[in-house]
Amino acid sequence: MEPGATRRRECYDPPPMETFLSVGVVLLPLAYLVVTAAYGFLFFSGAANERRWAAPALLGTLAFHLVYLVVLAYRWHQFPAATVAQALSIIAFAIAVVYALVEWLGRERSTGFWLVGLVFFFQLFSSLVGRPVPPDLARFKDGVIAIHISLALLGYTAFAIAAGYAFLFLQLYRDLKGGRFSTFFGRLPPLEALERMMLGALGTGFIALSGAVFSGILFAQREFPAVWHRDPKIIATAAIWLLYGAALALHRLRRWQGKQTAIVALTGLGAILFSLFAVNFFFTDFHGFL
Amino acid sequence: MARPDGPPLLLVGTDYRLAPLELRERVALSPAETEELLVALLARPSIGEAFALSTCNRTEVYLAPRDERDEETAYRELLDLLFLARAPELGQPGRLYVQRNKEAAHHLLSVASGLESMVLGEPEILGQVKQAAGIADQVGAGGPVMQHLLRAAIEAGGRARRETGIASGAVSLGYATVELAKNIFRELEQCRVLILGAGETAKLVARNLLERGARKLTVANRTPERLEAMRRELPTIETLPFDQRVEALAGADLIVVATGAEEPVLTRRDLSAAMAVRGSRPLLVVDLGVPRNVDPGAAKIGNLFLHTIDSLQNLIERNLKRRREEVPKVEELLGRELDRFFSWYKSLDAEPIVAELQRQAEEIRRRELAAAYARFPAETHGDLDRLTRSLVKKILHHPSARLRDAEGENTAARLAIARDLFRLDSRTDPTDGTEE
Repeated sequence: MEPGATRRRECYDPPPMETFLSVGVVLLPLAYLVVTAAYGFLFFSGAANERRWAAPALLGTLAFHLVYLVVLAYRWHQFPAATVAQALSIIAFAIAVVYALVEWLGRERSTGFWLVGLVFFFQLFSSLVGRPVPPDLARFKDGVIAIHISLALLGYTAFAIAAGYAFLFLQLYRDLKGGRFSTFFGRLPPLEALERMMLGALGTGFIALSGAVFSGILFAQREFPAVWHRDPKIIATAAIWLLYGAALALHRLRRWQGKQTAIVALTGLGAILFSLFAVNFFFTDFHGFL
Repeated sequence: MARPDGPPLLLVGTDYRLAPLELRERVALSPAETEELLVALLARPSIGEAFALSTCNRTEVYLAPRDERDEETAYRELLDLLFLARAPELGQPGRLYVQRNKEAAHHLLSVASGLESMVLGEPEILGQVKQAAGIADQVGAGGPVMQHLLRAAIEAGGRARRETGIASGAVSLGYATVELAKNIFRELEQCRVLILGAGETAKLVARNLLERGARKLTVANRTPERLEAMRRELPTIETLPFDQRVEALAGADLIVVATGAEEPVLTRRDLSAAMAVRGSRPLLVVDLGVPRNVDPGAAKIGNLFLHTIDSLQNLIERNLKRRREEVPKVEELLGRELDRFFSWYKSLDAEPIVAELQRQAEEIRRRELAAAYARFPAETHGDLDRLTRSLVKKILHHPSARLRDAEGENTAARLAIARDLFRLDSRTDPTDGTEE
């Protein structure tokens, strides 16, 4: 056995915790799939009975997910965002919490299928990536990096929610423009409300990502002064930040309408996922933790 | 002897499927005429209870004959009093429908749910059923059977609208416009509406928009007299000279165009200029003119949603299709409500037995209590009374409920066993086994 870190970690391996995490990683996507199906039934059939159990099922799954994340944090003694899998799971959890709040505050269930569906995909990707041992990095203890990671996760969550609303906006826009009236027509909040929710999420995401970029640069300038500006992850994030910033500015200046902004919101989510997966896996080890 | 499965009911009526408007309007009843008819029907010895429903699409009368043997007489009397007296042509085969017992009850529930309406699921009929029930109640025409049946019908109608999609989606041009607006704007109350035209279609749409909460309506029309007439009819609207319509476009969120013009009254250029001022705010334009009143090229402008009569018809067709798909769900719901109605009717058999059981228990309670009072201080008598009442109530609750529950088999046998067990038929004191 190698001495050092591995041995130190092994002594923290209580079997029940490991078993719980191994079961949780399988159960979580399945649970979100069931909840998505419940909201889907509600959306497509408009059946009154499913209202009774879709929301409680979501709350139950959220409670389980919270316990999973707490156990994960306890297991590795750090905030569970040190790997792509952990970050995706945190984002999935955050989207689900935001949706649950929107549903509770606005009594609005019509977007549940789409947003919980998004949660399912994030959690599925997280579970498929597996549970690699997270790096035990001293820099995780740094206050600036904690702010950087928290803001980045908040930003990604907000952008994912914006993309969900953008997708729904475009479907309803297409129906209204073409006079075809598909399943979406009459089952979603009005176009103006979808646009407002999308813009709200984009604005929140942009502010959070700006904070993440700023704190990240501060940290990188201190720790990696010579190489940080060549890191593909940072370059990709800067491009994403510019894309969202430009879209928000153009909308604010009334040059762009909801449709163009919605397309950017969807493109932006694609770029974020690319940044999370491709850049992390293939191009860089500077952002190896995330 | 046990009751039949359901109460004797007779329904005679005609509707838009069997009789043309010319005949329907002759048998249509005003509220005052409905009252007179019900009073006249109740004066006949063969008729125990009555209910009449009259709308622009149907006139139908429900009767509960005093006895099954009276049914034929009741039928004849109803024809003579109303249908044949006012429109002898209704005597021709296929002009009237006659339904009995369970079918008649089912028909009333179907009517209240909108399944029999000309426009499937239309909402007004439930209000009309409630109004007719009120008239029957006023003149005392509804006995227990009719009251329970009407309650079941109103409950079924309400549940059908709440729990199924039978009344969902717009099925008229006016409401289709409202539906489109509601899919774009967050609050119809805050929408500024501009209507070009003051004809019947424009008036209908304006009325529907006002009914659904629109507050800021401006109407422009070429003929000032027609515009003034529309304002007299709908006093909350504002008016605008027709030649100022283009200036008003940028401020409007919903524009409805329904003029008789042969050429477009709004061009793509007009609307492009308005959209440039509006920025990212969407604009809904509904063109109800034939030939079209809005340049079709305007549909290409971003964030402008141009709809014509054809797209509104598409929406109406889609909504009607959805309503038709909901019919089986409504039928299932009606079945459950009807079962409850018939269960109630069958439970009437149990009422005398339950009443006798409760009377007997109360008698025992009072007798035992009187004997016990002597052994307890006076200040505890109130508590003893409450305690024994509560005991008797709780002990009898389940047997009473089971006796009244007419669902399931062997209802008659169950009642017979109860009579025997509790010795309800003989004048017996069940506490000591001695005949009184």
